[in-house]
Amino acid sequence: MIMDWALLTEWTIKSLVLIFGLIGGFAYLTLFERKVLARFQVRIGPNRAGPHGILQPIADAIKLIFKEELIPAKADKIIFIVAPIITVIPALIILAVVPFGPDIRLFGRTITLYISDLNVAVLYIMSVTSISVYGIVLAGWSSNNKYATLGGIRSTAQMISYELALGLGFVGPILLSGSLSLVGIVDAQKNVWFFLYQPVGAFIFWVANLAEVNRAPFDMPEAEQELTAGYHTEYSGMKFALFFMAEYIKMIAVSAIAVTLFFGGYRGPLVDQFPVLGPLYFLIKVVAFLYLMVWVRATLPRIRYDRLMAFGWKLLFPISLGNVLLTAVGIGLVGITGNNLWLWFIPVSTILFFLLVSHFAQGAVAGGNK
Amino acid sequence: MSIDIILFLGLAVVAILSAAGMLFSRNAIYSALFLIINFSAIAVYYLILGAPFIALTQITVYAGAIMVLFIFVIMLLGAEQTGRTPASWWMRPLGMGLGALLILESLYLIFTHLHSFPQPIEIIDGFGNPGQVGEILFDKYVLPFEIISLLLLVAMIGAIVLTKKKMKR
Amino acid sequence: MSAQVVTENVDLLEKFPQSVKQDDRAGYAGYIVSADHLLEVVRFIRDDMGFDYLASITGVDYLPNGLMEAVYHFYKTSGGPGLVIKTQVDREQAAIPSLVSLYPGADFQEREAWDLLGIRFDGHPDLRRILMWEGFAGHPLRKDWHEPYYEEEGKPYKSRWPEGKVYRREDKNPFHKNVDYPAGFDPDKWVPDDDSTLYASVNKISSAGGESGIKTDYVIVNMGPQHPSTHGVFRMVVALEGETIRALKPVMGYLHRNHEKIGERNTFLQNMPFTDRLDYLSSMSNNFGYALAVEKLMGIKPPERAEYLRVIMAEFTRISNHLFAIGSLLNDMGAYFTPMLYAIEERELILDIFEATAGSRIMCNYFRFGGVARDLPEGVEEKMRDLAFKRLPRKIDELDLYLTNNEIVKARGEGVGVLTPEQAIAYSASGPVLRASGVPYDIRRADPYSIYDRFDFDVAVRYHGDVYDRYLIRVDEMRQSVRIIQQALNGLPKGPIQEGKPQYLVRVPAGEAYGRVEAPKGELGFYVVSNGKANPWRYHVRAPSFVNITALETMAKGNKVADTVAILGSIDIVLGELDR
Repeated sequence: MIMDWALLTEWTIKSLVLIFGLIGGFAYLTLFERKVLARFQVRIGPNRAGPHGILQPIADAIKLIFKEELIPAKADKIIFIVAPIITVIPALIILAVVPFGPDIRLFGRTITLYISDLNVAVLYIMSVTSISVYGIVLAGWSSNNKYATLGGIRSTAQMISYELALGLGFVGPILLSGSLSLVGIVDAQKNVWFFLYQPVGAFIFWVANLAEVNRAPFDMPEAEQELTAGYHTEYSGMKFALFFMAEYIKMIAVSAIAVTLFFGGYRGPLVDQFPVLGPLYFLIKVVAFLYLMVWVRATLPRIRYDRLMAFGWKLLFPISLGNVLLTAVGIGLVGITGNNLWLWFIPVSTILFFLLVSHFAQGAVAGGNK
Repeated sequence: MSIDIILFLGLAVVAILSAAGMLFSRNAIYSALFLIINFSAIAVYYLILGAPFIALTQITVYAGAIMVLFIFVIMLLGAEQTGRTPASWWMRPLGMGLGALLILESLYLIFTHLHSFPQPIEIIDGFGNPGQVGEILFDKYVLPFEIISLLLLVAMIGAIVLTKKKMKR
Repeated sequence: MSAQVVTENVDLLEKFPQSVKQDDRAGYAGYIVSADHLLEVVRFIRDDMGFDYLASITGVDYLPNGLMEAVYHFYKTSGGPGLVIKTQVDREQAAIPSLVSLYPGADFQEREAWDLLGIRFDGHPDLRRILMWEGFAGHPLRKDWHEPYYEEEGKPYKSRWPEGKVYRREDKNPFHKNVDYPAGFDPDKWVPDDDSTLYASVNKISSAGGESGIKTDYVIVNMGPQHPSTHGVFRMVVALEGETIRALKPVMGYLHRNHEKIGERNTFLQNMPFTDRLDYLSSMSNNFGYALAVEKLMGIKPPERAEYLRVIMAEFTRISNHLFAIGSLLNDMGAYFTPMLYAIEERELILDIFEATAGSRIMCNYFRFGGVARDLPEGVEEKMRDLAFKRLPRKIDELDLYLTNNEIVKARGEGVGVLTPEQAIAYSASGPVLRASGVPYDIRRADPYSIYDRFDFDVAVRYHGDVYDRYLIRVDEMRQSVRIIQQALNGLPKGPIQEGKPQYLVRVPAGEAYGRVEAPKGELGFYVVSNGKANPWRYHVRAPSFVNITALETMAKGNKVADTVAILGSIDIVLGELDR
């Protein structure tokens, strides 16, 4: 086997940049969230550590590292220690297939701004997200604490309910682009972002994403008011920080995936002429989505656990199935007539379908108690 | 030894150890976790064989979905705390006998067919990629595929009916 | 002047000539019922006389007479004055039939009387200690029970300034040396109570079997005392089937400081700042209730301006309390502090007014017997007008706009924790909890005190009795409070703020009085007994949080874990008052 040392170096550097970028992004995402939340809540937010509080994440990191680590006496020690690690790893590797920009030329070589262009990239994302729940479940179980166990059980139930809608949300862009590779999907959005063809799909994907990363209003597993801190009740110090890190990195990751699937990835005006703009556009779009997440957290109360399941199964799941069906019909119509205008059949019909289903499902989901 | 063989052997060790761990651990949660490791090891085999689609499906479906349900049930029922169920007197000898039979069978096959293993087939371009899997699944094997989906549907309805009946009682 | 609860009903004496007699002690009112016939008489009071609401149960230890007296205050939810009956038994073998079978709301109050006074209530289903811990020796509110630093019956203690020098008793007699252990008690060998009686009572209820008929195991979860949503150190022992509540037992007393014993050592006026510490979110209302009770004993009335100031302050307190209650309810529902911070923005301005007037934001200590402590400083009235006419109506509309039609708020609140009107009355629920269940009972209207009969306002009522209605009723009540403040500000007269000269040591004639106000959280009653000395002989607080929590189990059963938190938030408890 002949090693292409240059290629290996390139991969290593890209991976390191991605990992450190995510960790740094995590640190400053916490500051971003606190600042934005503060603004929503008529407060100022952190402003003591450094100018405008920009050193706050560093102070937090120092605090968390030097905190005492407690392991409950009746906890399952091995799993208790391994669980946070299991949680962080999927969060870190999930972005390996996402393109951050077009190819650029540097030092006389073409450098691709993604780590790997897997031809089954979408499946890769699915499988990584599906195993990321284990960390939470095992943390909940190994703590030997009733709140933590309830949190763990909630997270499994929630994950099963939302994985389906999430998976079906992927299908829309796959059908439209005819590719399972994220690079291919981004290339297919050269002219029109899939969001315009797939408004319902994008919406459902986004809602399922919020549930997937346990963000408000779907933060059941760690619902502070009910389960104190849910699955990480017993964690402290750096182990707690790892959960924290995983949650925020996942936020970045799902935002990046949503941008890639529905909002043209790094695409934007003049990208083909100036490839450097690609990562910039990408970053702006991701930050916009992160802002959206914070906004939702600042605005909405938490949905109750059983309602959440009903919402997932009775509303999101049928709508996303219908969305897939109507998308296929639209693409079929384009195939039969050869007229690309038929693509606009998809958004029109899916929105109508969405309104129809949500009208009828309202009683089943919202008014369950009456 | 090429890197492929090293990888193969390493994975084999992981797969066998995790399978053994699954069998021998007393704690149901540990068993489930060993099974997940085993599934992942096998997924990597698929990857080595040039079938990334099947590898990732293996992880998503088995490790991601089915085992989550397993763990969910174990945690809900508190099954990890139940002690060892007492085995009937005939279980142990029967198990040993069957195990021995299986080993003998495998040894016989290995030694009699040692020189007549099928040659590795030529991997065609795009082998195991999603498009090809889809085409084969929905073209050549469309009937079995549909029958399986019907079967699953029946099983699902059956499960719902069974639980409903219990609720009424 | 005697207590206010004089009743015109004479048929009680005619109906039960043997077992009921008039309470003819000077300064006392009501009837004395013999313990043997108590249930019979109370059933008559409830069913035939229409006193469907048992407001307060407490006891008084008349040590010199060797008597233990239980005091019951009944009211009609249709309004009007109340009825007070007493039962006297020998204080050494104090046993009285329990009223839980007639009024489920008697549950916790009887447990409290058992815990603190040692009155055994025969027939009570679950007579355990409630504020003190199991294993506590004695009943602290008995007059012959002395606290570790006991000096004498009432303040001011003579030992504190011998020859003009002030020192603390603890300096002379350091900690550990002064603690009296009960006979035969060795602290080193003491094993803390393992709550077995508590868990037994939960298990008894939860073993009744699930709704579905499937035999399942219950998980017992302790929510609290360290829990983010219990509004302090409050503990709920819940039996869960999945996430559904099958049984719930509140455990309280973690913040217990025997407020009432301290109150009996204090002089009358010294108690005023102590009432601030009950419901520390609405100290003005607490002052109000206590001032009313003592003024009834003294037979004085504050001047006009003071009455107006009292009403204005009490209504501002109600608004600030409800803003806080709505904010924390939304927090309990999982909204991340945004509604809370929006709601308490205006609360800060109200507290500014309190600070300018009373000198303190939270612990106001503003009321005096026969008046208020200070007049409004310059400029405060303009601030009040700005709040009452401009900012508060706008803020209430804003909360209404953002929250009332929110899908998730509705989904979390509608049909959750339902309390029917009959249950609400039976459980002695009061305040917003009672009115959200469709009972239009507001003491300000039903049995007006101070000058509330002069103002034009509506009694807010909602009819579903769920969490959502308990949220809505607080919005409605804030609107009504704004109306009252507006009228009071427009009619605020000039004049003195204190009847007579302010006195440190007030002379209170012997007698009893029950002063009750419609505090933001419900009926706040002060039962004060004076024997003519400088200190109250008995000082009892009927705390709305404490009595409202009696219905918690009924509300929570069959709901989810997440709902319990919302239900508790919708009752709006404050531990300072609950545990006293």
